[in-house]
Amino acid sequence: MAESDGELLQGTLEMLVLRTLAFEPMHGWGIAHRIESMSGRVFLVSQGSLYPALVRMKRRGLLASEWRTTENNRRARYYGLTAAGRKQLHVERSGWLRASTAINAILNAHWALGET
Amino acid sequence: MSLASDLLERFRALWHRRRDEEELAEELRFHVEQQAAQHVSAGIEEDEARRLSQVALGGVEQVKEAVRDARGTRPLEESLGDMQYALRNLARNPGFAAVVILTLALGIGGTTAVFSAVDAVLLAPLPYDEPGQLVRLYGASVNDLSFRGFSSPVQFGAYREQLPSLESVAAILTYNTKGADVGAGEDVRRIRVLPTSANYLAMLRARPELGRGFQSEDENGSGIEDNVDAAPVVLLSHGFWQDQLHGDPGAVGRTLMMNGVAYTVTGVMPDGFKDPVAGAVDAWVPLDLSQARDPNEVGNHYLTVVGRLRRDASLARAQAELDGLSLRLAEQYPSIKEERARLYPLKEDIVGSSSRALEIMMGAVGLVLLLVCVNIANLMLVRGSERSREFALRTALGAGRTRIVRQLLVESLTLAMAGAMAGLLVARLAMAAIVVLGSGTIPRLASLSLNPWLLVFALAVAVGCAVVFGLTPAIRAARTQPGDALRDQSRSSTGGRRSLRVREWLVAWQVALAVILLVGAGLLLASFARIQRVPLGVKADHVLTFELNLPSARYDSMARAQFYEQIATALAALPGVRAAGGISKLPATGAYHQWGVAAISGPLAGDAQRGHIGAQNRTVSGEYFQAAGIPVLAGRTFTQGDDARAPDRVVVSKSLAEQLYPGTNAVGQRLHTGGRDSEIIGVVGDVAVDNEGRSDTYVYHAHRQFAGDRNWALMQVVATAGSATALEPAVRHALAEADPQLVMFHPIPLDEAIGQGAAQRVFTMRILLTFAAVALALSALGLFGVLSYSVKLRTREFGIRMALGAERADIGRMVLRRGLAVAAAGIAIGVCTALPLTRLMTSVLFEVSPLDPRVLLGAIAFMGLVAAVAAYLPARRATSIDPIASMRVE
Repeated sequence: MAESDGELLQGTLEMLVLRTLAFEPMHGWGIAHRIESMSGRVFLVSQGSLYPALVRMKRRGLLASEWRTTENNRRARYYGLTAAGRKQLHVERSGWLRASTAINAILNAHWALGET
Repeated sequence: MSLASDLLERFRALWHRRRDEEELAEELRFHVEQQAAQHVSAGIEEDEARRLSQVALGGVEQVKEAVRDARGTRPLEESLGDMQYALRNLARNPGFAAVVILTLALGIGGTTAVFSAVDAVLLAPLPYDEPGQLVRLYGASVNDLSFRGFSSPVQFGAYREQLPSLESVAAILTYNTKGADVGAGEDVRRIRVLPTSANYLAMLRARPELGRGFQSEDENGSGIEDNVDAAPVVLLSHGFWQDQLHGDPGAVGRTLMMNGVAYTVTGVMPDGFKDPVAGAVDAWVPLDLSQARDPNEVGNHYLTVVGRLRRDASLARAQAELDGLSLRLAEQYPSIKEERARLYPLKEDIVGSSSRALEIMMGAVGLVLLLVCVNIANLMLVRGSERSREFALRTALGAGRTRIVRQLLVESLTLAMAGAMAGLLVARLAMAAIVVLGSGTIPRLASLSLNPWLLVFALAVAVGCAVVFGLTPAIRAARTQPGDALRDQSRSSTGGRRSLRVREWLVAWQVALAVILLVGAGLLLASFARIQRVPLGVKADHVLTFELNLPSARYDSMARAQFYEQIATALAALPGVRAAGGISKLPATGAYHQWGVAAISGPLAGDAQRGHIGAQNRTVSGEYFQAAGIPVLAGRTFTQGDDARAPDRVVVSKSLAEQLYPGTNAVGQRLHTGGRDSEIIGVVGDVAVDNEGRSDTYVYHAHRQFAGDRNWALMQVVATAGSATALEPAVRHALAEADPQLVMFHPIPLDEAIGQGAAQRVFTMRILLTFAAVALALSALGLFGVLSYSVKLRTREFGIRMALGAERADIGRMVLRRGLAVAAAGIAIGVCTALPLTRLMTSVLFEVSPLDPRVLLGAIAFMGLVAAVAAYLPARRATSIDPIASMRVE
C-alpha cells in the first residue's frame, strides 16, 4: 500500500469503517475524518469509495443508519453497527491479526535467513 | 447475509429509489460543508475550502453513480424498464397478445385438467398396501379365455387352498348391488351390504379402526339371508357408523337390526376406506361359504375372487398354477370341464375399459399441447418478422444485441406469464367440468385435484415454447446486418418469403393435428350413434324402475310371493300405467346368475356337449315381459296358476330354444337348471345382456315358484304412457298404501339405468370433441393468420400486378389457392398419421372400423370447409387492394 496516496483496499476500508463505528454511531464525514486522524493521516479516505462502501455494508446488514441532528444542529445520516456488523468486525479483526502476524513473521524470517 | 435478504434489500431500494436519491444528495452536501468548515477552521479561505473539499470528494456525480452501483438495483431497474416497454408494446397490438394468451390458456388449462384426470384415475395407485400385488380372478371357458365370468364356492375353496403363488385369496358376493333394510318402523333405511369371505379385508391389508374383522368361523352361513342360526356379525363403514350409531365408540358388541335380523357389530372400518370392487359399501357381513365343499354347488357361479400375489411370485407363475388347478377341477367335476380361469392385475381390472379411454384422452392432450406450441411458435415468428425492421433500426442506432435479446425475452415472458395465469383459471374451470361430466362413470374421479407437477409440466412446455420462439427472431435479427434488414424490408416487395414458407409448414402441421383429433372424435361419435341404435330387445323408454325389498322378518316366502304379485297389480292399475312387474336384474345392465342349463328332453337330451349351455337366469313377477316390452313368440308367460304348488315351469329366450331344441318346438320340452327340472311353457324374444347389445340365452323363473329359494329383492319395472319420472309420486303412494314401511329404493328410468354403462364413452367423446373443436379453431386461426400476413407482405406485389392488368378475382384466387394448398398438405399429413393411430382406439369403438371411410371423409370435408373459410377472408382482402395506395405503402 503506497503511503502517500493512502488508497485503501475495499475489504480493508470496510474493516476500518466497522472499527470506527464500534465506538459510537457516526456520519460519513465523521467516519472519514476519524480514519484519517486515527491513522495519523496515512490513510486518506476517498469519499468516492466511502459512500458506496457504506451502501454495500448496509445492504449486507452490517450497518444501520438513521437521520439525526449534529451538535451544530445540522441534519446528517448516522451509521451504526448492527449485531451482524459487530460479529463481522470480530471476524475481520482476528483474520487481519493472524494475517499480519504471519506476514511479519515472513518478513523477519527473510531478514534472519539473510544474516546466516 | 442471505441471498433472500439481499434480494429483499435490493427490491426495497428499488421501491425507495427517489427518496434514496434525495437523501444521498443531502448526505453528500453535508459532507462537503463539513469538510469546508474544517478547512476554514484551519485558516483557508471559504471559497478555496469548498473547492478543496469538492475535489477531495471526487465529483458529486461520480460518487452518486458509484453509490447507485453499490445499491445493486441496476439490473432490476433495467428489467422493469423492459417490462414497461413490453407492456406498452403489447397494448399497441392487443389482438396479438389476446390470441397468444388465449392459446396458452387453452393449452395449459385444458391439458392440465385432463392430464390430472388421467393421472388420478389411471396412474395413481390403489389406496391399499402394495396395490401392485392385488389380482382379480375371472372364470373363463376353454372356448373363450377372455370371458370374464364369476366363480362358484367350490372353485373358490380350491383357489384358496391350492394356489401357492397367491399369499391369500378372498371372495365377495358378486350380486352386491342388493341392499338391506336397517332399523324398524318409520325409521327404515336401505343400505348397501357386501358379503365377503372372512379374509377379504385382511387380504387388502385393511384393518378396522374399532373392534375386529371377520374370522373363518364367521363363514358358517350366518349371512344376510334368512337361514340364520348363529348370531350374525356385521362390520360397519365409518360413514354408516357416524350416521346410524352417531359415532358411538362403544358400538362394538351392539346390536343392529338388518332386514329384521339382529346383527352384532364386530368392528368399524376407518374413514376413507373404500371397497376396491364394490365401491361405496355401508356394511360388510361374512359370506356364507358352508357350501364350499358341496359338489352340487360347483356350477353355481356367484363369487368375485380377488387375491394378493406373493412378493416373490410372478403373475405368469400364478396363472400357470391356476391353469393346472382348473384342469384338476375339470377332471373332478365333469359339469365344469369347459371352465378355466384367468388372473388380471386388480388395477387394470378396475380401471378396465376406462384405461384405453384415458390413454386416448392423454394422446389427445398431447396433440393439443403440440398444436398450442405450433400456434405459439407461428404467432411469435410473425411478430418477430414484423418487427425485424424495428430491431435493425435499434441496432443501427447503437442498441446492444444482448439488450435487444433481453428485451424480447422479457416480452415473451410477460406474455407467457399472462397466459399461464389464464391457464390456471381455465384449468380450474375445466376440472370442475370434468368432475361434473364424468362423475359416476369414471371410477375415483371424485377425488380429482389439480396435479401440481402436471401443471408445472404444462407451464414449462408452453412458456418454454413462447420464449424459444420469441427469441428466435431476435437472434436472427442480431445476426443480420442492420443495413440489409432495413433495405430488405423497405425495398423488396416480396420480402420474407423464406419465413413465410416456414410458417406455411407450421400451419400445415396444425391442420394435420386437427385432422387427427377430428378423426378420433368422429370415430367415437359414430360408435356412440351406433350404440344408441343397437337393439336391446326391450322397450326402455317410458319405463320407471326401482328396487323393492321385503324384509324377511315380516315377509316369509309365501307372503313375498303374494306381495310382489299384489303390488304389480296395484301399480298396473295406476292411471297411465301399461303394465308392471318385477325381475331379479334389470335387462341389458350386465350378466347375473349365469347357471348351467341342460336339456332333458328333445333331440339334445343327454348330449353332454351340445345339450349343456350356460344361461342367464332371471326371476320375474307380475307382467314383467309386457312391462319391459319383450315379445312372447310361442306358448304363454306365467299366470296365477304357476305357483309353489304347481310343477316347476320356465320361460326361455328364443336363442336358448334354438340352441337346446333345434328343429323342434321348445314349448313343452324340459330342462334342468338352478337345481330343478322344469317344463318350458313359453318362448320370448332375445334380450341383450349389456347396453352394447351382447346377446345371451335366458331362462326366466316365476317368482311365485322361486320365492322360497332366497329373498329376491326384485327390481320393479313399470311401463307408462307418460314420463317415467312423473310417475314416481303415484308409485310411491301406491307402495305406501300397500305397506307403509317399505322403501322405494333408487327409482330410475329404465333407459337411464341401461345407459349408465355408455356414459363413459360419452365422457370420452365429449372431451375429444372439445379438443377437436379447439384444434379446429387453432388451425383455422393459424391458416387465417399466415394468409393475412402473406397478403400484407405482398400488398405491393399485388398492387403492381393489378396495375399491370391482373384481374382482382385472379389475385383472390391466387391467395385462396395458396391457402387451400397448405390445408391440403396438412390434411394429407393428418390422414396418413391418423390411420395408424386410430387402430389403438379399436377397444373403445363399437361396431365402427378405425378406418371407417365416412368418418375419414367427414373429417377431411369438415377441415377443408373450415380451411376454405379461413382462406377466403384474406383472399377477399387481397382483391380489395387499391393499386395506387399499395405502392405508397412505405
